[in-house]
Amino acid sequence: MSTRVEQGRFTRARAAGPAGSPSPPPSAGQGRRPREQAYPGAFPIGPTISFLRRLRASLDAGSELPQSLAEATGALPRDLRDALDRMLHRLGGDYSEDEWGFDEEFADSLLPFFEFLYERWWRVQAIGARNVPSHGRALMVANHAGVVPWDATMMSVAMLREHPLPRYARFLVLDWAFTLPWVSVAMRKVGGVVASPYNALRLLEQDELVAVFPEGVRGAGKGFGQRYRLQRFGRGGFVEIALRTGSPIVPVAVVGSEEIYPKVADAPLVARAIGAPYFPITPTFPALGPLGVIPLPSKWRIEFCEPIPTAHFGPEAAEDRSFVFELSEQIRATIQAKVYDNLVARGSAFL
Amino acid sequence: MRPRRVLITGVGSFLGTELARRLESDPEVEYVAGLDDRPPRARLERTDFIEADIRNPLIGKLIPQAEVDTVVHNKIVRRPGPGMSGRSAHDINVIGSLQLLAACEKSETLRAIVVRGSAGVYGSEPSAPQFYTEEMARLYPLRTRFQRDVAEIENYFDTFSRRHPRIVCTMLRYQPSVGPSLDSQITRYLSMPVVPTFMGFDPRLQFIHELDAIEALVAAIKNPVRGPVNVAAPGTIGLTKLVRMAAKPTAPILSPFFGVVADAARRVGAESLSDDFRRLLRYGRAVDISRLVEEVGYEPRLDTVEAVKDYLRAQRGKQLLPTIRDLVAR
Repeated sequence: MSTRVEQGRFTRARAAGPAGSPSPPPSAGQGRRPREQAYPGAFPIGPTISFLRRLRASLDAGSELPQSLAEATGALPRDLRDALDRMLHRLGGDYSEDEWGFDEEFADSLLPFFEFLYERWWRVQAIGARNVPSHGRALMVANHAGVVPWDATMMSVAMLREHPLPRYARFLVLDWAFTLPWVSVAMRKVGGVVASPYNALRLLEQDELVAVFPEGVRGAGKGFGQRYRLQRFGRGGFVEIALRTGSPIVPVAVVGSEEIYPKVADAPLVARAIGAPYFPITPTFPALGPLGVIPLPSKWRIEFCEPIPTAHFGPEAAEDRSFVFELSEQIRATIQAKVYDNLVARGSAFL
Repeated sequence: MRPRRVLITGVGSFLGTELARRLESDPEVEYVAGLDDRPPRARLERTDFIEADIRNPLIGKLIPQAEVDTVVHNKIVRRPGPGMSGRSAHDINVIGSLQLLAACEKSETLRAIVVRGSAGVYGSEPSAPQFYTEEMARLYPLRTRFQRDVAEIENYFDTFSRRHPRIVCTMLRYQPSVGPSLDSQITRYLSMPVVPTFMGFDPRLQFIHELDAIEALVAAIKNPVRGPVNVAAPGTIGLTKLVRMAAKPTAPILSPFFGVVADAARRVGAESLSDDFRRLLRYGRAVDISRLVEEVGYEPRLDTVEAVKDYLRAQRGKQLLPTIRDLVAR
């Protein structure tokens, strides 16, 4: 029941979005790629009844079931009919995924839910989305927290909502996620790939926008006391990849993601038993069971910093270890500084 | 260029026969010989059929007599057929390759060996890069019997080519082939009445169309390059999409029970699924084909989805269940 109410409210908020709320910049909404989908706010009771009536009338008249179904869809509103049609097409295998398994139509259909999280749940403020190149290869580097990559999702949504030329970001996901049922499927469909340098190289060579979290599992597994303290940036692999492909690096500071699952303790024995990299204990997880997976509604700020061009260094610069480390450290420092700035700008964590 | 003389092992298989037929019609090829213990699938016009078991040391005499410059090794068993044990498949794969190499050693005219190997050597791993390149064969432990067989075969040919630098060894690593006339593990899987899947997994699969599979072999015969080359159609397809396109009902099975259920189903007469294939159904596998395109110079004409479509188009006639789209067509 409550979800329906939420959905209804959310639809109104969307409709009033560009005019009413001051938060998105004036360009938001204009550059959005046209989405033919309409999201019905409430369950359409009237059309459903007339649909069933027509179906019955047609069956009584002696038609076969498939034909009657087809006739009865005439009673449905246009957008519902389209949605039904698309669903049937998908069930017939008629949808496209790229070679990575990214399914844009599927990602689009999840967008309303992500936009709800973005707008209402975390009240995300995105700064400098225009710093992300609107075409061609680019590597976004961000701080990371939590085992569920909400930060990657919100960066993606910010790109779609705030950027004048919106584009989907691909993100590198901890490979453990790909051993899990359902999780692996969902990750691939929305643009996640196994965190492997080969994947990042190939994606960048295909001129995609790629997001990486160089803190990796150290970032995801850090405790609440360690929040917003960036961990070591691996071995600087992401810098090598950017240099080799000549992709600009966009440092991104995400504030808010580190309060959604405040990890107070770790259960290494459980982690080892299920093969997970770590097993977090938060105030709600695992005490509340599946409810513990619901992230806390902290307030978020995402800042996209000025891109750092790397093309002029040339691919051979990737061989120079000290240079790679230096650049990696410089990017880490930039993100750390921006994280502190945005922490101050945000004020209270939850209100 | 002087005319070529080619010997094909495993000429009794579909691809072997078709390759022989294709080479017969090629003006650059002067002589074609086919070696197998079963006759070719179709009548061949000018192919010399040598009936011999590849495991038999006798081939050490037969192959040098044929005076060929290229040997195509196509006798690698991917799926033990009915009445063939895993043990004898292993024997054909490993002992057969050893005997073949011993025979090749004695031939003085030989210049190139082209092996139709398998991309199965990479295995299927959840944490692997999405596209294997040729140097990633030993990234993960060898997990299944077939994978170990292929790795062993590759090893033999690798050692052989280092010992005989004048002979070029091309190791083609084939992804599974699909096509209207082919009987392979994947087509058998898709013709099961209910298709078992791993619940919650949608692996990325990659195939090659049967005609592209033959043309890639021809390209490698004409332009043999040293070392491994991945052979596959560009692009990938998700298993879910594949099964939906085939309009097959699925039976999603929780992963820990998949083995038990599949074994039980085999006992009551269902298709048996090899260990490799089970891993493929869970984690999938795709390869990078830039070496095939750039060095061998062959670009597959159909991508993975088109290859699947071509296979399904031919299957439609035999279809028993209507597709969902036919049912609600407006």
